[in-house]
Amino acid sequence: MSESFVDNDQPPGDPAEALRLIEEQRAAALRHIHIDDRWWYWPWGFAWLIGFGLLFLRFGPDGRVFVDLPEWLPVAALIALLVGAGVISGLTGARAYGSVVGESSRRGAYYGWAWSIAFTGATVILVRVSDALPEDLRTLVWSATMVALTGALHMAGGAIWLNRTLFQLGVWISVVNVAGVLAGPGWQSLIMCVAAGGGMIVFGAFAGRWRRRVTA
Amino acid sequence: MTDAPLDPVIHAQARLRVVAALSTLGTGDQIAFPRLQDVLRMTPGNLSVHLRKLEDAGYVEITKTHRGRTPMTLVALTNRGRTAFEEYTASVRALLQPPDIKEKA
Repeated sequence: MSESFVDNDQPPGDPAEALRLIEEQRAAALRHIHIDDRWWYWPWGFAWLIGFGLLFLRFGPDGRVFVDLPEWLPVAALIALLVGAGVISGLTGARAYGSVVGESSRRGAYYGWAWSIAFTGATVILVRVSDALPEDLRTLVWSATMVALTGALHMAGGAIWLNRTLFQLGVWISVVNVAGVLAGPGWQSLIMCVAAGGGMIVFGAFAGRWRRRVTA
Repeated sequence: MTDAPLDPVIHAQARLRVVAALSTLGTGDQIAFPRLQDVLRMTPGNLSVHLRKLEDAGYVEITKTHRGRTPMTLVALTNRGRTAFEEYTASVRALLQPPDIKEKA
Protein backbone atom coordinates (compact mmCIF):
# COMPACT_ATOMS: atom_id res chain seq x y z
CA MET A 1 0.00 0.00 0.00
CA SER A 2 1.09 3.54 -0.67
CA GLU A 3 2.43 5.80 2.02
CA SER A 4 -0.68 7.95 1.98
CA PHE A 5 -2.73 4.97 3.02
CA VAL A 6 -0.53 4.43 6.07
CA ASP A 7 -0.72 8.14 6.86
CA ASN A 8 -4.44 8.53 6.63
CA ASP A 9 -5.02 5.56 8.89
CA GLN A 10 -3.50 7.61 11.70
CA PRO A 11 -5.78 9.36 14.19
CA PRO A 12 -6.14 13.13 13.84
CA GLY A 13 -3.43 15.01 15.73
CA ASP A 14 -5.71 16.63 18.30
CA PRO A 15 -9.43 17.41 18.84
CA ALA A 16 -9.17 20.70 16.98
CA GLU A 17 -7.75 18.93 13.96
CA ALA A 18 -10.47 16.27 14.14
CA LEU A 19 -13.16 18.95 14.18
CA ARG A 20 -11.53 20.80 11.30
CA LEU A 21 -11.36 17.56 9.32
CA ILE A 22 -15.07 16.89 9.96
CA GLU A 23 -16.12 20.39 8.97
CA GLU A 24 -13.98 20.49 5.85
CA GLN A 25 -15.18 17.11 4.68
CA ARG A 26 -18.84 17.92 5.29
CA ALA A 27 -18.48 21.20 3.39
CA ALA A 28 -16.75 19.43 0.50
CA ALA A 29 -19.47 16.75 0.39
CA LEU A 30 -22.22 19.37 0.41
CA ARG A 31 -20.53 21.20 -2.46
CA HIS A 32 -20.19 17.98 -4.47
CA ILE A 33 -23.47 16.25 -3.73
CA HIS A 34 -25.94 19.03 -3.08
CA ILE A 35 -27.05 21.55 -5.65
CA ASP A 36 -26.96 25.28 -5.09
CA ASP A 37 -30.56 26.36 -4.35
CA ARG A 38 -30.33 29.15 -6.89
CA TRP A 39 -30.55 26.54 -9.64
CA TRP A 40 -34.10 25.81 -8.43
CA TYR A 41 -35.36 29.34 -7.87
CA TRP A 42 -33.67 31.63 -10.35
CA PRO A 43 -34.81 30.15 -13.69
CA TRP A 44 -38.44 30.53 -12.53
CA GLY A 45 -37.83 33.93 -10.98
CA PHE A 46 -36.29 35.34 -14.14
CA ALA A 47 -38.93 33.70 -16.35
CA TRP A 48 -41.65 35.48 -14.36
CA LEU A 49 -39.76 38.74 -14.10
CA ILE A 50 -39.10 38.98 -17.85
CA GLY A 51 -42.28 37.27 -19.13
CA PHE A 52 -44.76 39.18 -16.98
CA GLY A 53 -42.71 42.34 -17.43
CA LEU A 54 -43.22 42.13 -21.21
CA LEU A 55 -46.92 41.35 -20.69
CA PHE A 56 -47.32 44.46 -18.54
CA LEU A 57 -45.50 46.67 -21.04
CA ARG A 58 -47.68 45.47 -23.94
CA PHE A 59 -51.00 44.93 -22.16
CA GLY A 60 -51.06 47.50 -19.37
CA PRO A 61 -54.03 48.36 -17.09
CA ASP A 62 -57.13 49.69 -18.92
CA GLY A 63 -55.76 48.71 -22.30
CA ARG A 64 -52.71 50.96 -22.07
CA VAL A 65 -49.70 50.07 -24.24
CA PHE A 66 -46.41 51.19 -22.72
CA VAL A 67 -44.21 49.58 -25.37
CA ASP A 68 -45.69 48.70 -28.74
CA LEU A 69 -44.43 45.10 -28.97
CA PRO A 70 -45.99 42.62 -31.41
CA GLU A 71 -49.12 41.20 -29.74
CA TRP A 72 -47.90 37.62 -29.78
CA LEU A 73 -44.48 38.38 -28.29
CA PRO A 74 -45.15 38.66 -24.52
CA VAL A 75 -47.14 35.43 -24.23
CA ALA A 76 -44.74 33.54 -26.51
CA ALA A 77 -41.78 34.82 -24.48
CA LEU A 78 -43.44 33.89 -21.18
CA ILE A 79 -44.24 30.36 -22.39
CA ALA A 80 -40.74 29.86 -23.81
CA LEU A 81 -39.16 31.10 -20.55
CA LEU A 82 -41.39 28.84 -18.44
CA VAL A 83 -40.60 25.82 -20.60
CA GLY A 84 -36.91 26.70 -20.30
CA ALA A 85 -37.22 26.94 -16.52
CA GLY A 86 -38.98 23.56 -16.45
CA VAL A 87 -36.17 21.97 -18.45
CA ILE A 88 -33.54 23.48 -16.13
CA SER A 89 -35.47 22.17 -13.08
CA GLY A 90 -35.58 18.71 -14.65
CA LEU A 91 -31.84 18.72 -15.38
CA THR A 92 -31.09 20.07 -11.90
CA GLY A 93 -33.17 17.28 -10.41
CA ALA A 94 -31.33 14.67 -12.47
CA ARG A 95 -28.00 16.13 -11.35
CA ALA A 96 -29.06 16.35 -7.72
CA TYR A 97 -30.31 12.79 -7.55
CA GLY A 98 -28.09 11.22 -10.20
CA SER A 99 -25.59 9.64 -7.83
CA VAL A 100 -27.63 9.54 -4.66
CA VAL A 101 -30.13 6.71 -4.49
CA GLY A 102 -32.86 6.16 -1.93
CA GLU A 103 -35.60 8.13 -0.26
CA SER A 104 -34.43 11.58 -1.45
CA SER A 105 -34.29 10.56 -5.07
CA ARG A 106 -37.73 8.91 -4.87
CA ARG A 107 -39.16 12.03 -3.27
CA GLY A 108 -37.53 14.15 -5.95
CA ALA A 109 -38.86 11.95 -8.75
CA TYR A 110 -42.42 11.90 -7.37
CA TYR A 111 -42.30 15.66 -6.88
CA GLY A 112 -41.10 16.15 -10.45
CA TRP A 113 -43.93 14.00 -11.76
CA ALA A 114 -46.45 15.91 -9.63
CA TRP A 115 -45.36 19.14 -11.36
CA SER A 116 -45.58 17.70 -14.87
CA ILE A 117 -48.93 16.01 -14.34
CA ALA A 118 -50.53 18.96 -12.55
CA PHE A 119 -49.41 21.41 -15.24
CA THR A 120 -50.50 19.18 -18.09
CA GLY A 121 -53.92 18.80 -16.46
CA ALA A 122 -54.34 22.53 -15.92
CA THR A 123 -53.25 23.28 -19.50
CA VAL A 124 -55.87 20.90 -20.92
CA ILE A 125 -58.61 22.49 -18.80
CA LEU A 126 -57.61 26.03 -19.75
CA VAL A 127 -57.32 25.27 -23.47
CA ARG A 128 -60.83 23.81 -23.28
CA VAL A 129 -62.41 26.91 -21.66
CA SER A 130 -60.12 29.66 -22.97
CA ASP A 131 -62.20 30.54 -26.05
CA ALA A 132 -65.31 31.07 -23.95
CA LEU A 133 -63.58 33.71 -21.82
CA PRO A 134 -63.66 37.44 -22.58
CA GLU A 135 -60.35 38.46 -24.09
CA ASP A 136 -59.15 40.65 -21.22
CA LEU A 137 -59.67 37.82 -18.74
CA ARG A 138 -57.85 35.15 -20.75
CA THR A 139 -54.31 36.05 -19.72
CA LEU A 140 -55.46 36.70 -16.17
CA VAL A 141 -57.11 33.29 -15.79
CA TRP A 142 -54.21 31.46 -17.46
CA SER A 143 -51.54 33.01 -15.33
CA ALA A 144 -53.55 32.96 -12.10
CA THR A 145 -54.29 29.22 -12.47
CA MET A 146 -50.70 28.31 -13.27
CA VAL A 147 -49.31 30.47 -10.51
CA ALA A 148 -51.81 29.07 -7.98
CA LEU A 149 -50.59 25.60 -8.90
CA THR A 150 -46.97 26.70 -8.53
CA GLY A 151 -47.71 28.17 -5.10
CA ALA A 152 -49.45 24.99 -3.97
CA LEU A 153 -46.62 22.77 -5.20
CA HIS A 154 -44.02 24.90 -3.41
CA MET A 155 -46.00 24.61 -0.18
CA ALA A 156 -46.22 20.85 -0.72
CA GLY A 157 -42.45 20.79 -1.32
CA GLY A 158 -41.97 22.57 1.99
CA ALA A 159 -44.06 19.86 3.66
CA ILE A 160 -42.17 17.01 1.96
CA TRP A 161 -38.67 18.23 2.87
CA LEU A 162 -39.70 20.09 6.04
CA ASN A 163 -38.16 23.13 4.41
CA ARG A 164 -39.48 26.35 5.88
CA THR A 165 -38.09 28.59 3.13
CA LEU A 166 -39.76 26.56 0.41
CA PHE A 167 -43.07 26.60 2.28
CA GLN A 168 -42.86 30.35 2.87
CA LEU A 169 -42.12 30.88 -0.81
CA GLY A 170 -45.27 28.88 -1.65
CA VAL A 171 -47.36 31.03 0.70
CA TRP A 172 -45.85 34.21 -0.77
CA ILE A 173 -46.60 33.11 -4.34
CA SER A 174 -50.18 32.20 -3.39
CA VAL A 175 -50.84 35.53 -1.65
CA VAL A 176 -49.26 37.58 -4.45
CA ASN A 177 -51.30 35.63 -6.98
CA VAL A 178 -54.59 36.47 -5.26
CA ALA A 179 -53.51 40.12 -4.98
CA GLY A 180 -52.83 40.14 -8.72
CA VAL A 181 -56.24 38.67 -9.53
CA LEU A 182 -57.99 41.22 -7.33
CA ALA A 183 -56.00 44.06 -8.90
CA GLY A 184 -57.25 42.97 -12.33
CA PRO A 185 -55.78 42.60 -15.83
CA GLY A 186 -52.65 44.62 -16.48
CA TRP A 187 -51.83 45.23 -12.82
CA GLN A 188 -51.68 41.48 -12.34
CA SER A 189 -48.74 41.28 -14.77
CA LEU A 190 -46.88 44.00 -12.90
CA ILE A 191 -47.49 42.33 -9.53
CA MET A 192 -46.40 38.95 -10.88
CA CYS A 193 -43.32 40.48 -12.48
CA VAL A 194 -42.09 42.36 -9.43
CA ALA A 195 -43.49 40.51 -6.40
CA ALA A 196 -43.55 36.92 -7.63
CA GLY A 197 -40.59 36.98 -10.06
CA GLY A 198 -38.47 39.35 -7.99
CA GLY A 199 -39.54 37.56 -4.80
CA MET A 200 -38.42 34.22 -6.21
CA ILE A 201 -34.99 35.63 -7.09
CA VAL A 202 -34.59 37.13 -3.62
CA PHE A 203 -35.71 33.84 -1.99
CA GLY A 204 -33.19 31.97 -4.13
CA ALA A 205 -30.36 34.26 -3.04
CA PHE A 206 -31.24 33.93 0.63
CA ALA A 207 -32.05 30.21 0.56
CA GLY A 208 -28.49 29.49 -0.59
CA ARG A 209 -27.01 31.75 2.03
CA TRP A 210 -29.15 30.28 4.83
CA ARG A 211 -28.20 26.77 3.87
CA ARG A 212 -24.50 27.62 3.66
CA ARG A 213 -24.69 29.18 7.11
CA VAL A 214 -26.54 26.22 8.65
CA THR A 215 -24.00 23.73 7.35
CA ALA A 216 -20.92 25.88 7.97
CA MET B 1 -19.58 10.01 27.94
CA THR B 2 -16.97 12.71 27.33
CA ASP B 3 -14.42 10.83 29.42
CA ALA B 4 -14.80 7.66 27.36
CA PRO B 5 -12.01 7.05 24.80
CA LEU B 6 -12.81 8.20 21.25
CA ASP B 7 -14.37 5.55 19.00
CA PRO B 8 -11.31 3.80 17.48
CA VAL B 9 -13.21 2.92 14.27
CA ILE B 10 -13.82 6.57 13.41
CA HIS B 11 -10.73 7.96 15.13
CA ALA B 12 -8.60 7.56 12.00
CA GLN B 13 -8.32 10.42 9.52
CA ALA B 14 -9.51 8.54 6.47
CA ARG B 15 -12.50 6.87 8.11
CA LEU B 16 -13.48 10.07 9.88
CA ARG B 17 -13.61 11.78 6.48
CA VAL B 18 -15.68 8.94 4.99
CA VAL B 19 -18.21 9.09 7.81
CA ALA B 20 -18.33 12.91 7.78
CA ALA B 21 -19.05 12.91 4.03
CA LEU B 22 -21.73 10.21 4.38
CA SER B 23 -23.37 12.13 7.24
CA THR B 24 -24.48 14.82 4.78
CA LEU B 25 -26.80 12.33 3.05
CA GLY B 26 -30.41 12.11 4.22
CA THR B 27 -31.41 9.03 6.22
CA GLY B 28 -32.39 6.28 3.81
CA ASP B 29 -30.09 7.64 1.07
CA GLN B 30 -27.20 5.84 -0.58
CA ILE B 31 -24.38 7.27 -2.70
CA ALA B 32 -22.66 5.61 -5.63
CA PHE B 33 -19.10 4.45 -4.87
CA PRO B 34 -17.39 6.48 -7.65
CA ARG B 35 -19.17 9.63 -6.53
CA LEU B 36 -18.07 9.11 -2.94
CA GLN B 37 -14.55 8.55 -4.21
CA ASP B 38 -14.77 11.89 -6.07
CA VAL B 39 -15.90 13.68 -2.94
CA LEU B 40 -13.17 12.15 -0.78
CA ARG B 41 -10.41 12.13 -3.41
CA MET B 42 -9.30 8.63 -2.40
CA THR B 43 -8.13 5.79 -4.62
CA PRO B 44 -10.70 2.99 -5.08
CA GLY B 45 -8.46 0.52 -3.21
CA ASN B 46 -7.93 2.86 -0.30
CA LEU B 47 -11.62 3.72 -0.02
CA SER B 48 -12.60 0.03 -0.21
CA VAL B 49 -10.29 -0.88 2.66
CA HIS B 50 -11.75 1.81 4.90
CA LEU B 51 -15.32 1.03 3.89
CA ARG B 52 -14.76 -2.62 4.79
CA LYS B 53 -13.59 -1.65 8.27
CA LEU B 54 -16.61 0.61 8.69
CA GLU B 55 -18.89 -2.13 7.39
CA ASP B 56 -17.41 -4.65 9.84
CA ALA B 57 -18.25 -2.23 12.65
CA GLY B 58 -21.81 -1.93 11.32
CA TYR B 59 -21.37 1.78 10.57
CA VAL B 60 -21.91 1.65 6.83
CA GLU B 61 -24.00 -0.54 4.61
CA ILE B 62 -22.74 -1.51 1.16
CA THR B 63 -25.22 -2.64 -1.46
CA LYS B 64 -24.21 -4.19 -4.78
CA THR B 65 -26.85 -3.66 -7.43
CA HIS B 66 -27.32 -2.90 -11.12
CA ARG B 67 -28.48 0.18 -12.95
CA GLY B 68 -29.47 -1.28 -16.29
CA ARG B 69 -26.57 -3.63 -17.02
CA THR B 70 -23.94 -1.62 -15.20
CA PRO B 71 -23.02 -2.99 -11.80
CA MET B 72 -23.27 -0.38 -9.09
CA THR B 73 -21.98 -0.21 -5.55
CA LEU B 74 -23.99 1.95 -3.19
CA VAL B 75 -22.80 3.15 0.19
CA ALA B 76 -24.91 4.42 3.08
CA LEU B 77 -24.36 5.36 6.69
CA THR B 78 -26.34 3.07 9.04
CA ASN B 79 -28.23 4.47 12.04
CA ARG B 80 -25.50 3.03 14.20
CA GLY B 81 -22.87 4.79 12.12
CA ARG B 82 -24.72 8.10 12.31
CA THR B 83 -25.02 7.82 16.09
CA ALA B 84 -21.33 6.92 16.40
CA PHE B 85 -20.39 9.95 14.27
CA GLU B 86 -22.61 12.27 16.30
CA GLU B 87 -21.14 10.97 19.55
CA TYR B 88 -17.60 11.32 18.21
CA THR B 89 -18.27 14.92 17.12
CA ALA B 90 -19.83 15.73 20.50
CA SER B 91 -16.85 14.22 22.37
CA VAL B 92 -14.37 16.16 20.27
CA ARG B 93 -16.28 19.39 20.82
CA ALA B 94 -16.43 18.70 24.57
CA LEU B 95 -12.66 18.15 24.65
CA LEU B 96 -12.19 21.58 23.06
CA GLN B 97 -14.32 23.42 25.59
CA PRO B 98 -12.73 24.90 28.70
CA PRO B 99 -13.68 22.76 31.76
CA ASP B 100 -15.90 25.39 33.47
CA ILE B 101 -18.17 25.67 30.40
CA LYS B 102 -18.20 21.90 30.07
CA GLU B 103 -19.71 21.54 33.53
CA LYS B 104 -22.49 24.02 32.84
CA ALA B 105 -23.35 22.53 29.44
